[in-house]
Formats: sequence, structure tokens, C-alpha cells
Amino acid sequence: MLSLLKQKEWSPYLAGALLGLVYIFAIALLGVIPGASGAFENVAGLVATWVAPAVANNTYFKFVMPPGITWEVIALAGILVGAFVAAKLSGSFRVAAVPDSQWRRIFGPQVWKRWLAAFLGGIVIEYGAGIAGGCTSGLAVGGGLFLAPSAFIFMAGMFISGIPTALVVYRRRY
Amino acid sequence: MGDILGPALLGFFFGFALQKGGLSYYNKIVNVFRFTDLTVLKFMLTAIAVAMVGTFALSTAGLVALPAVPATYVVGNLVGGLIFGVGMAGAGF
Repeated sequence: MLSLLKQKEWSPYLAGALLGLVYIFAIALLGVIPGASGAFENVAGLVATWVAPAVANNTYFKFVMPPGITWEVIALAGILVGAFVAAKLSGSFRVAAVPDSQWRRIFGPQVWKRWLAAFLGGIVIEYGAGIAGGCTSGLAVGGGLFLAPSAFIFMAGMFISGIPTALVVYRRRY
Repeated sequence: MGDILGPALLGFFFGFALQKGGLSYYNKIVNVFRFTDLTVLKFMLTAIAVAMVGTFALSTAGLVALPAVPATYVVGNLVGGLIFGVGMAGAGF
């Protein structure tokens, strides 16, 4: 058991099974479907109530994503702690500006490139998740377990645009 | 307190599973769109299968009230997914 916790990486089937248990726990005991993207919108709405009350009063924040420190925000903080503990246990935790060797091979070691891509990509992802009604966790897995059509339409869309994006980014190295 | 502890624990194990599954690495995310590493799909579909069996077993036993299923609105789900995929493959999140 201890050696399992110290392993850097689990089989995706084992880690996926643990995630499945987390969903069962959340649905059974908390009555919610876990999601990661909603928290950013809750906080964005909260900031808007301070700096731009008119925006915070629009239909989206009023009826779809209420501003505030919701359970999703608390869960997001928990995600950071959980991932940190998991990495620390296996000794794989480190601080790096450009963390990935594959990224460095393709785009070079410049920090600004990675951070710019991360920042813009984050905006695009959050915007897409806002329109779709969830992200890979709240919609794809959280809807997929109910065989909700929305989950599979979303996943199809994700690959329809993700594959050409990777093709463009990687070109001949695809 | 329960209002905080529940979601905090949920997040903790969520993050733990993602990190151990390798889902926090750029290459794992982007390579699923190059079909050179299917970790993301193995991870997600296993989670769906396990959660599905557990949730509906508990629900059939009458122990759990099912939450609202994520709404289907075809154009929104699809367009959102299309935008999402660009960010996911571009940034590797």
C-alpha cells in the first residue's frame, strides 16, 4: 500500500477507478457532480460583483453560475492540495517554469512561450466549458456516467477541434 | 464545517487521482490528440464506468437520490466542446 502511494505514476485504469469512486462519493454524500471549471466562473462572478456589478447581475451569473465561494471553489483548493500530496509522496514534486520536456523539444526553452500558451489556452478552455455547460470533469465524466447526450456531444467536439489543433501545432512532427 | 470538509475531501482525492494518473502533464494531454498516448481516454472512461456502476447500484438500492443530469443543448455542447478542444490541445490542460 505504501509503495503504491510512493509510485510516481499509477496505471490510468487504477487512477481512473479512484476518480470514479470520488464521483460516487460526491453524488451519494454531497449530492453534487464534481467539476473543475465552475469554480473559476464562481470566483470571476464574485470579482465582478465588486468591480462591475452590472456584469455580475447578468443572466449567466444570476441563473447559471452564481458568484461566490461555492463548494466548487473549495473543491478546487482541495485539488491543488491533493495533487501536491500525490506528487510529494512520490518525490516527483518540483517547481519549474517550463515543466515539460516534450514542450521544450517542440517550442524551445523560453518561459514566455509556455506561459503565454498556458494563459491563452486557459481562457479558451474556460470559455468553451462555460458555453458547453461543463468541462472534462463536470460534463464529460459527470454527464458520461449518466449516459447524458451532452457529455458525448462535448467529447466529440473536443476531439474534432483538438486533433486539427495538434496537427497545426506539431505539423510534420505530429 | 461539513459544508467545507466534504468538498475539500472531494477535491483532495480528485487532485490525487489526476496527479497519480499523470493527467497534470502537458505531454499526456496533448498526445491524446496525436494518438501517441491514450492515457486521458483510459483514465476518463474508467472513471465513467466505475462511477456509473456505483452510482446506479446505490440508486437502485434506494440509497441515493440522483442529481440533475448535465443538460443537453446540442449546439451549445458541441460549440463549447469545439472551443474547449482548441485550448486543451494548444495548452495541454
